[in-house]
Amino acid sequence: MPLSVKHLLGINELTVEDIEQIFKTADNFKLVLNRPIKKVPTLRDTAIANIFFENSTRTRISFELAEKRLGAETISFSASGSSVSKGETLIDTVNNILAMKVDMVVMRHSASGAPWFLSQHIDAGIINAGDGINQHPTQALLDAFSIREKLGSVKGKRVAIIGDIMHSRVALSNIYCLLKLGADVMVAGPPTLIPKHIASLGVLVEYNIKKALEWCDVANILRIQLERMQKPLFSTLREYSLYYGISKDLLDSLSKKIIIMHPGPINRGVELFSDVADSKQSIILNQVENGVAIRMAVIYLLSGKRELNEQM
Amino acid sequence: MQILIKQVTVIDSQSEYNNKTVDLLVKDGIITRIDSVITETADSIIAENNLYISSGWVDVFADYCEPGYEQKETIETGINAAVAGGFTHVLLAPNTEPAVSTKSIIESILHKAKNKAVTIHPMGSATQNAAGKDIAEMLDMLCSNVVAFTDGWKPIQNANLALKVMQYIKAFNGTLVQMPIDTNLSAGGLMNEGINSTKLGMAGIPELAETIFLHRDIELLRYAESCLHITGISTAASVELIRKAKKEGLNISCSVTPYHLALTDDVLNTYNSLYKVSPPLRTETDRKALLLGLADGTIDCIATHHHPQEWDAKTKEYEYASDGMAIQESAFNVLWHYCKNYVSIERLIETLTVLPRLIFKMESQSITVGENACITLFQLKNETVLQSTSVKSKSKNNPFIGNKLSSCVYGIINNGLCVLNRNND
Repeated sequence: MPLSVKHLLGINELTVEDIEQIFKTADNFKLVLNRPIKKVPTLRDTAIANIFFENSTRTRISFELAEKRLGAETISFSASGSSVSKGETLIDTVNNILAMKVDMVVMRHSASGAPWFLSQHIDAGIINAGDGINQHPTQALLDAFSIREKLGSVKGKRVAIIGDIMHSRVALSNIYCLLKLGADVMVAGPPTLIPKHIASLGVLVEYNIKKALEWCDVANILRIQLERMQKPLFSTLREYSLYYGISKDLLDSLSKKIIIMHPGPINRGVELFSDVADSKQSIILNQVENGVAIRMAVIYLLSGKRELNEQM
Repeated sequence: MQILIKQVTVIDSQSEYNNKTVDLLVKDGIITRIDSVITETADSIIAENNLYISSGWVDVFADYCEPGYEQKETIETGINAAVAGGFTHVLLAPNTEPAVSTKSIIESILHKAKNKAVTIHPMGSATQNAAGKDIAEMLDMLCSNVVAFTDGWKPIQNANLALKVMQYIKAFNGTLVQMPIDTNLSAGGLMNEGINSTKLGMAGIPELAETIFLHRDIELLRYAESCLHITGISTAASVELIRKAKKEGLNISCSVTPYHLALTDDVLNTYNSLYKVSPPLRTETDRKALLLGLADGTIDCIATHHHPQEWDAKTKEYEYASDGMAIQESAFNVLWHYCKNYVSIERLIETLTVLPRLIFKMESQSITVGENACITLFQLKNETVLQSTSVKSKSKNNPFIGNKLSSCVYGIINNGLCVLNRNND
């Protein structure tokens, strides 16, 4: 069954059926990834451009691997050292790449809404790999997929998203995805890092980290994004780590064992301490592994190819 | 040159013919006769069904970008847009390059606008080069018929400087025009802060950025006992603040843009940069409060905030796109379409004619025999569509292009010239 959308711009554009279809397809790809030969030739005639206007290591590698394991040809470039630094516009940059017969674009961009803007000006399929402080839909999908894998389903589970909610595209796309799949969602952190109107999305808001951890089944800890902060939003990293950082002592003081997630990269000793990040409660590396399967599923489903079962 | 206008309904509270349908004769730029029927011959006869006449309309805040940004608009193309929009008088913002900060720049603008059907009033900057640091040579600029002073899109942030400007202009009955934005509170913001900015993942500009600034300027005004005009208020709280300040008897007036009366931040759901404006589009509650404020007299006049941007400046990622709408030529169509259920045509015309002339100390105009013919002709039809091909402005950053709107500007007579619109259907 194809997806109801041509692009993956944000989570809201997807139906619940779309998300379930992505998960089922990712289940199959996860089997492929655990075989000795980790590739299928499904997209051998497809060219995909990974255009990263913002620095990225894990997302870019994850997409590239997903594309290569589907047999696609890939090209990747980042903004620095490209024509963008010479003043070329986004539309020109992407159209020049498409003129070389590229079928799909994976784009990360520092401006919220940039993929929506691009989708109105080009013909190729677009996958949003993160736009500004708005969304990071494949991260939300892989996070929900990881919760489903660990707890059996997402529906009815309590997920607390903790930390810098205001500057996090992971937070917003996770909220949309988790609510869509029937989870209860709470956001927690210093009030200056939580958007004033966030409760209108249907989430709970908590400023006390211990209370948030007591409430939840899963805690998704977000990175403090110092590079995005234009105003003074909290005092010092020291104070943040003391009062909002997740330590082993704090986890052990809870009445139950909760699951710890983090989209990476981790500021160890700030929002998350190493003895938590590397503990058995953490599924951070499972998230990374699932990222490849989810991205394979999204790319495959958006490509419109219909021959997966024969090749698997 | 004689122009006979047949069976036209007068909308002019200062005219004895208000609400009457009459024939009107203009001879050499003067209204020479008004009667129920005039049978005299004329060089030109205007006879249209459902035609209305009022004094020429005033736009109290527009940007024609010359000198410095001629790729967006020039005095000439701006005047063409004003004619198409029915405006006979336009107050220009000083945010040019260099800024309108000296008598010589004002005189060069006036020179370019000479012998046109639209009268241009360049507003001088209140601070030197509109940089918000030192007081500009306002007395010198006054000699060039400047009616008001403003830093335009860059309102004065320093409270002490704003106070000094308010005090300085008292010597010559000047008016300070401020756009209500506290740039510390709006910093980084891309749209109204609220449910929609949260949903769209965009940094918000809180209502507070406007109301704090307005509060401050009202306090400064009370202290300085000067004259202040706030251009482009956008929130319900601002309407209330102005209402209170007026009740108190302060010399304050304000204007609203057509797009704040028409649109809310709901239109931003596809990140369309045509809707990126400053102050930002707000909520339906704010829009309703602005409409009520316009109806009850709290809001005095219309500022189109005509802000042309070339295609490249708008066709980019929302965050990087420039602010503004080039809306002057569809201003009235938008106004009547969105205001007609809240505001009478008499009241709307008052905000375009009598009130701006009073506030900015311009020569009064009236549909009266013996007066200069400073006239706007318009129709209240059901459907008008502004086609992209008939846009007169040099820029097309107007989201209302192609929309069905419910009125039409027929033409203007001003400065002895008569210009009729031919493409407005």
